[in-house]
Amino acid sequence: MNIDLSELSHLAPIFRELFKGYHVSRRDPELYTQLSNQQDQYRALFKALGFELTCDPRGFYYFVPEQIGAQVNKTAQRLALFTFILVEHLADQGRDPLAVLDGGSLGRDELPALLEKYRDLFVQAEVTTQDELEEKVMRRLCQLGFASEDNGIYRFLAPMHRFLDVCLSVQQDRDLAASLHSNLPLPTPVLVDDEEEDIIRLDEAAVKVDELSEEQAISEAIAAERANQEVDA
Amino acid sequence: MIDPKRVLRALAEHWTLLEPLCEHFDSGTLSLTELRSQLSVQLPESTPVDITMLLDQWIRLDILVPVAKSPNRFELNAQIHDFLAYLRREHRLGLCLEIEAYLRHLERLAGYIKDAFEVRDAHDLARQLRLLDMRVRDVLKKLLNDEQALVAVADRAKTSDRQIPLRQRYAEVLATWDEYVEPMIQLVAADGAFEQGVYRVEHVLLRLLSEQQRLGQLVDDDLLLRTHARILEMQTTAQLTLRRARELLLPLREEARRHNAVTRGAALALSAIRRKGLDAVPQASMPMFSRPQSTFLGSASQVEAYVYALARFEPKPAHFPKASSSRKGQAPRAPRTAREMLERCEQALPLPDLMAWLLEQEPNGATDELLYWFSRLSRDSRFQRDRLERREYLTAEHQVNLSSFALIKSNPASSKAEKSSV
Repeated sequence: MNIDLSELSHLAPIFRELFKGYHVSRRDPELYTQLSNQQDQYRALFKALGFELTCDPRGFYYFVPEQIGAQVNKTAQRLALFTFILVEHLADQGRDPLAVLDGGSLGRDELPALLEKYRDLFVQAEVTTQDELEEKVMRRLCQLGFASEDNGIYRFLAPMHRFLDVCLSVQQDRDLAASLHSNLPLPTPVLVDDEEEDIIRLDEAAVKVDELSEEQAISEAIAAERANQEVDA
Repeated sequence: MIDPKRVLRALAEHWTLLEPLCEHFDSGTLSLTELRSQLSVQLPESTPVDITMLLDQWIRLDILVPVAKSPNRFELNAQIHDFLAYLRREHRLGLCLEIEAYLRHLERLAGYIKDAFEVRDAHDLARQLRLLDMRVRDVLKKLLNDEQALVAVADRAKTSDRQIPLRQRYAEVLATWDEYVEPMIQLVAADGAFEQGVYRVEHVLLRLLSEQQRLGQLVDDDLLLRTHARILEMQTTAQLTLRRARELLLPLREEARRHNAVTRGAALALSAIRRKGLDAVPQASMPMFSRPQSTFLGSASQVEAYVYALARFEPKPAHFPKASSSRKGQAPRAPRTAREMLERCEQALPLPDLMAWLLEQEPNGATDELLYWFSRLSRDSRFQRDRLERREYLTAEHQVNLSSFALIKSNPASSKAEKSSV
């Protein structure tokens, strides 16, 4: 396949967003249109570079990292937990969880009640205050393209289907259902201790761009990376 | 007998009053008081006597009939109600069993037709054919009504309040699917009662046609052909109605099923997490949440250059030095370790300008290497930093524009405070 780079006019922003774990959906019309128009080219180029571009027919794009060394991290667990909680909370209230999580919205003012009701579960994800809930969950959802925030209203976007899919796969997981009625321990996954490991690196740098110069942001990120490598070594 | 003209005239004249009442009558009956209050809202200038006269007229014309055993409650005459439903395209969904019963009746009629032809009874044959034709029309009418009713079922589900539970919202869809669509699928299937019934009736009619040609006409061929055509139309309509029903209701039914699965999945996961902690949800259930690669890429142009270079990457053959050959020139310097650089920096404190010091230390150092040390040293808790004015620095390869730092030894108390705040 011949890839004409001149046609991939949004290559750099698309790559940067996808690379940091962001989900490109219709909320980013320019990137989304470019990706859907040149889907095969982008897919082939990224594949050649070792990145698996997933094109979800429900209207979003994201990178799937290689399976080797893939680990479920704390952020993912937190976001999944939040989705489970929200689905149950909405169902308890007689509201339609799918309507909310698939294009619907949730007010920031609803978060305290949610936190109070599910405090025992949120504690497990190290979320104990509303600030933490907003910082560790809601902000992350927005950063990764799962939701957007406007005037205290969180609107959930199409990529939330990935979390809904988790609900479905849990529902189909007979082992899990069976284990709930037994005392045997669950086969827990081995997770990296990524307590401090952020799901996105670029954002840290991006936040600091405001206060530091771009060069400094770059050097800091390089430094952080090297520090990681030193730790790994 | 009621004069049809008077009924039709009354319906036409009072349509603006009857139409809103139809909606009430669709969902139940109305008491005399309710009827009067409804009408007085629509006729604000009329007296109670006018309303009584109007109601009397409707009752006389059998448009309104008293509900059995409740003389003060009224409903629309069933025939009028059906007629108005047809005009308003608001049908109630019938039963699949009705269609099946009609089909059995068609088969029986086909048997009578065959018998009548065998005994050469032209009169009976024509009568049975007419009956068959009317029954087929009944089935057609019913199928079209059902289709309208199905559209209404889907519309109600789609437009009802999004905040009510999906199970409740789609209760009618699920019931319709189970009670109408599912049996219809079986009925209209290739080996179902519908197809077989139609085939038997068609067979009798076609045989009759050929026998008439051989033995002479008992009835007009046109009558036979018209009935046959109508039967084929009925068959097509049944298939179309079924297809439409599936198109309308299947996505809604799937949505409801998915909703149930999602809610159950979430509840299961929460239950597992409550009992066994956050790791209880098996990793296999969350295949996609892997940690993205943490390699850093900087500005847009860097990303572009990176991707461009990768796209055109061509591996170069590696030439390893022979073990026997001696090294030419100077031995390459071992890379500096973080500890070594930190110590050197600590000894050189206070530093008026960190970047300038680094350039002095490593005049031939690569730019990225220098930037790395700049970042690493400036952020170390051993040093306290003060930002300097932005200026340009010249490395061996590049011209770098940045705000450097002046470093002094960090106060242990403040560094502790900083650590705890982190």
